[in-house]
Amino acid sequence: MSDHHSEHHSDQQHHVLSNSMAARIFGALLVLTVVTVWVAQFDLGAWNFTVAMLVASVKATLVCLFFMGLKYDHKENTVIFSTSFIFMTIFMILTFGDLLTRGDVYVKDMKKIIPDGAVAAQTKSKYESPWLSNAELVSHGKELFAAQCVTCHGAGGAGNGVAAAGLNPKPRNFTVGEGWKNGRKASAIFGTLTKGLNSMPAFASLPPDDRWALSHYVRTLGPHESEKDSADDLKKAGIDASGSGGGSSGEKQIPVDAAIEFMSVSG
Amino acid sequence: MAHGTGAVSHLERHHAHHFKNGHEEFEACKQGMWIFLVTEVLFFSGMFVAYAVLRVFYPDMMHDVHHHKILDWRMGALNTVVLITSSWTMARAVSSSQRGEHKNTVGFLWATLLLAGVFLVVKYFEYSHKIHEHILPGAQYAYEGLTTAKVPIFMSVYFVMTGIHGLHVVIGMGIIYYLIRRANRNEFGPKYFTPVEITGLYWHFVDLVWIYLFPLLYLVG
Repeated sequence: MSDHHSEHHSDQQHHVLSNSMAARIFGALLVLTVVTVWVAQFDLGAWNFTVAMLVASVKATLVCLFFMGLKYDHKENTVIFSTSFIFMTIFMILTFGDLLTRGDVYVKDMKKIIPDGAVAAQTKSKYESPWLSNAELVSHGKELFAAQCVTCHGAGGAGNGVAAAGLNPKPRNFTVGEGWKNGRKASAIFGTLTKGLNSMPAFASLPPDDRWALSHYVRTLGPHESEKDSADDLKKAGIDASGSGGGSSGEKQIPVDAAIEFMSVSG
Repeated sequence: MAHGTGAVSHLERHHAHHFKNGHEEFEACKQGMWIFLVTEVLFFSGMFVAYAVLRVFYPDMMHDVHHHKILDWRMGALNTVVLITSSWTMARAVSSSQRGEHKNTVGFLWATLLLAGVFLVVKYFEYSHKIHEHILPGAQYAYEGLTTAKVPIFMSVYFVMTGIHGLHVVIGMGIIYYLIRRANRNEFGPKYFTPVEITGLYWHFVDLVWIYLFPLLYLVG
């Protein structure tokens, strides 16, 4: 680097990038561009991304050190510029720390607030057997769906609501008959509403009649061959088909509001 | 002279009164530029994080983009070479002005401006092809070659990131043209080349962003 002549030391003392060095860096950047394009032709799985970022970072480092002169500059400018990448990393870590663990937080919080089995009926059922569909329940379910569910599941229940973009796994598409994790029986949907599933929060705060109404309505959105509940299914869902009122079997019936209040008081 | 026209030859130029000397003024200007570049990195980091989130959420999005050749990697590669070359001409413009090589300073600045123009022309062909085929963001997407829910999301990322990068190129061209006019008045030399130096930093930063955008958007499926 003999280009730095001392005759103008009086004002700007500065390293001058020699022409040959500039040419070498330029050549290296071109070669690395060819390398990154060449590597992209092979399917290396996740390594494609890693290699591409590594090559880009080598190129970026060359530009910073030589073309931008950080190699010859005061160290404080390097420190200043580096802070931006530290903050970018913090940005990434916090964002992914939040997004990738949201489902867990929902499940944990709901479990804290609503102990198992205490999700029960706060209100007496209007219906003798709400686990059996009827026109009134379906139309009530439709109203509830529009108020509670469309944000994620979409107006037609196709799983394409406005909030669906931010969710992973995606909301269930009710218009398709297959792939339901808990099945499509009314008791199964009732169970999902009560306990939640992945990104879907529990709707245990809705009265059982409302949850049954939603279950029956959701079944009408897809193909109609979904099975009816057997006595066993209902029993598993905690329903004694011989009684009335629907909900859980009657043990540990703590109203949800009371449970939440209890939890917040007891810290 | 200094009065009236505002044009001052580098031989007559004096530093601003709140600096001890021209060297201190130069270092302060340069450090200011580095701090500005920090804000630029943070500005772009919002978009890079959005890209990363969408990539993690929709692994099939990038697969569709890659598999159906939504973007032409040859255009991206061509523009990478164009920008890298312009970074080199900019570096030469800076060192020429530092050595007082007046003709080279002006010549390399013109070369940088020309290459920036070539970059935008290539970008224009890419954009007009996308618009013609309706490969557009969100609800505007109506590409007949591929019906998918995910590629419209990618197109939002693509247009925002390359659009804002392109805006930086346009702004850079304006600044470089301004430098050419000042260089023609013989304002830059060994004693005063601050504007050329810090414009160089800005221009290399624009190149840096593209160095990452090219593989992220065009290459990695």
